[in-house]
This record gives sequence, structure tokens and C-alpha cells, in this order.
Amino acid sequence: MSARRIFVTAKMTGIDLARRRIALGLLTALPLAFYGGSVSRGSGAVITGGVAMAFSIAGASIFVALTARPVDPRLILAGYHPTELLLGRLLLLELFGVLVSGLFSIVMVLGSNPAHPWSLAAGVGLVALTSVPFGLAVGAVSPHELEGVLILIGVVGIQLTLFSTDLAAHFLPFWGGQRLLDHSVNPVAPGAAVPGNIAYAAVLFAIATYVMRRQAPKVGGAKRHSRELTAAARSAG
Amino acid sequence: MASGSAVAPRPEVRVSRARPAVAPALAAREIRRSYGDRLVLDGVSLAVAPGESVAIIGENGAGKSTLMRICAGLIQPDSGEVSVSGQVGYCPQEPGLFDLLSADEHLAMFAPALGLSREQALADGHRLLSEFAFPTHQRAQCRHLSGGARQKLNLALALLGGPCVLLLDEPYQGFDHGAYVSFWEHVNSWKRAGIGVVVVTHLLADRDLVDRVVEQRITCEAE
Repeated sequence: MSARRIFVTAKMTGIDLARRRIALGLLTALPLAFYGGSVSRGSGAVITGGVAMAFSIAGASIFVALTARPVDPRLILAGYHPTELLLGRLLLLELFGVLVSGLFSIVMVLGSNPAHPWSLAAGVGLVALTSVPFGLAVGAVSPHELEGVLILIGVVGIQLTLFSTDLAAHFLPFWGGQRLLDHSVNPVAPGAAVPGNIAYAAVLFAIATYVMRRQAPKVGGAKRHSRELTAAARSAG
Repeated sequence: MASGSAVAPRPEVRVSRARPAVAPALAAREIRRSYGDRLVLDGVSLAVAPGESVAIIGENGAGKSTLMRICAGLIQPDSGEVSVSGQVGYCPQEPGLFDLLSADEHLAMFAPALGLSREQALADGHRLLSEFAFPTHQRAQCRHLSGGARQKLNLALALLGGPCVLLLDEPYQGFDHGAYVSFWEHVNSWKRAGIGVVVVTHLLADRDLVDRVVEQRITCEAE
């Protein structure tokens, strides 16, 4: 594992992402529009806006993962370890998540005046934390951007339709953040929101790592395959 | 090398002299690979000596690119063995590049993987690119480059770091005539440097430019 390779990956991911200004702007405007559209209807707007923020960060993560897919095998062939590439992207995208969640926290604290503003900020931060490994995992298993974005819309959409107290909501990736956002405006206990969500994020990152390592070229001086040879030998070059 | 056929196995097409027995830069032995129930490679072997150039020819769907990808380590064979004596430089048919990054940024990205400093990778990369008349002064993102320019960058990335064997899958797509001629001049210089060069090609003229031609035939049988 090389810190330089992780840093260079993070830097190049940042350059790539910065050149997608319009897409990122639209991705960030979408959950803000969700919040703005529901803010006059009470405390639920905070939960809607906070969870919908996953569209922005997970969407960016999916784009990063899928954009890199054709290049990653060559990078690994050249000497990168799959985990270095993933960690570099995770680092940069979490930094992006901190910036976006900071913006959302300020907007929603000022707009909704919640009873527990720090809980709101923590909830938004937890959504951001989970969105990156979620996007990387979806990007790793999706064949194309369309399928990846549809999975994202489906999961976040279902999370938005459920209350944080619903049993089904506990099994979705943004439940911890949703619960803290709920706690910030309603009298519900946060429960195991933080450790539960951190564990969920770790599992998602492990899935992304596993898939990428499985798909990665097998690099080495000699590659041997133990399966019995069945074909008759033909002339060699 | 040859592949299986339902009709009758035909011998490998050999052009030019036999090479001295030296440790191969690349040796693929008894490679077998299927996609679903379609057998693409059936006990294919290929050995490339240092400083040797080999052209792989064959019809569309004969498994040429699959063989190259297996030799590069990008996909695994169902059975068989590949050994390489050092770094592999692989130039895929479709340039695998970041659309929003420039040539310099690609070189900088590959640098730490190859154990090069950023400055060294840029210097080596610029030298390689200028040899192919790539407009190195451009800071354009790859999406704004022509197909030929993208392919030149693709080739330069394969050469970066001093590979022992180059696997070039139709590497001159989009090249103009001058770049194509220059490419083959470079193949000779890479050979002199001891690099084994394998080129997948459909051009008849290329057969006269390499040490050896290997024909990959379509395998008709289903598993």
C-alpha cells in the first residue's frame, strides 16, 4: 500500500470531478429543491432534504467508479493495487461529502430551526459518510451509469417514503442519518444510528473492494492455473 | 500457435527464420478459454523472445484480442499458463483513458504505479509522445483529442516504465500514413532494445514487417 498512489488517485479523481461542474451542480440542486419544496410543510422537510442529499454524493461516487472502470485494469497492470484506487477515491469523495453536507446543514438549520441542530448536522454527515461507499459499491456492480443511477433513485426513494421508525427502514443504507435527522426535529431517540450506519458504510466499502479485486487483472511474473488441461496440444509459436 | 477447428486443425502460419533458444519474454501455454458455451481458444500456445516481433492475424471473432487480454493478465483463461519475464505493456484496441483528464494528467497518474517520479514520467511520456508527433503542448482533455491522438497516448502509456513485452491490439487505429510508418520504425527500435512485440493486425502489409506471423483461427466446436 502506497500513500503516494492513494494521494495521486485522490488528486486525479478531484480533477475529474471538478470538470463535471454542471452535473455536480444539478446533483446538488436536486435535493436542495426537495428540501425547498417541502420546507413550508413542517419538520419532515429536514429529513427529506438530508436523505435526498445522498443523490448528490452517491451520484458523484457512481460517476467516478464507472468512469474509471475502463482505465482501472491498466492502472492495476501498471502497478496500482485495487484498494489504493478505491481508497484514493473514497478520500476525495468523502471530502466532497463534507463540503456538501456542510452546505446542507447550514441551509437546513437556518431554514427549519430544528430543536437539535447538532443532531441535524450529524445526520447529514452520516448520510454523506454512507453515500460514498454506497456509490462506489453500486458503481462496482452496475454495468452502466443508467443502471447505477436507477439503483440509487430506487434505494433513496424507498428510504424517503419510509419513517425512520419503520422496521424496513432499518435495513436501508441511510437509516442512521435519517434517524438522527428525525431526532433533530421530532421526539424520537437516535438509538444505534451512528454505529449502525458506520457498520453499513464499512460493509458497502468491503463489497466495492471485493468486486474490484475480483475484476482486477492478476498481475505477476508467472500465472498458473491449476485446472486440468483438456485440450490436445497444438503447435506452439 | 494454432487453434482448434471442427473441420481439421491447420498448422500455424510461420514466416521468416527460427529464433535462437532464449528465455521468452512471454510464454503462453495451452490456453483454453470459452465465453458461455462458445470455445474461443482451444489449447493455444505462444512464445515471444526478447527482441522478437510477432503479428497475430485472423478473422473477426477468432480470439486474437482474448488471447492478448489473457497474456496481459486482464482476463483469466479456463486453463493454461502464462508467464512473463517482467513488466507487460498493454495497448488495448479501445483506448482506456479518462475522458476528462489530459495527457499529462494520465502520465502523472501512471507514474507512481511504475515507480517513476511525476517529472520522470512526464519527461519520458513527452519524449514518447513527441516521437509519434502527438501535440504535447496541448493541455486538452482526452475527450477533445482525435482518435489517432488518443491512440498515441494509449501507446505511450503502454511504453512507459520500460516493459519487457508489448502487447499491441490493433495499435494504429486512427493513425495517419506518417504515423503508421513511424510506428513500424519504432517497433524496430523497441526490438533492438530487447522488447518482445506482439501486434494484432488485419493488414496484409504488416506480415512483411514482423519476424513471425501467427494465425489464430475460429474454433468452431461448442463445449
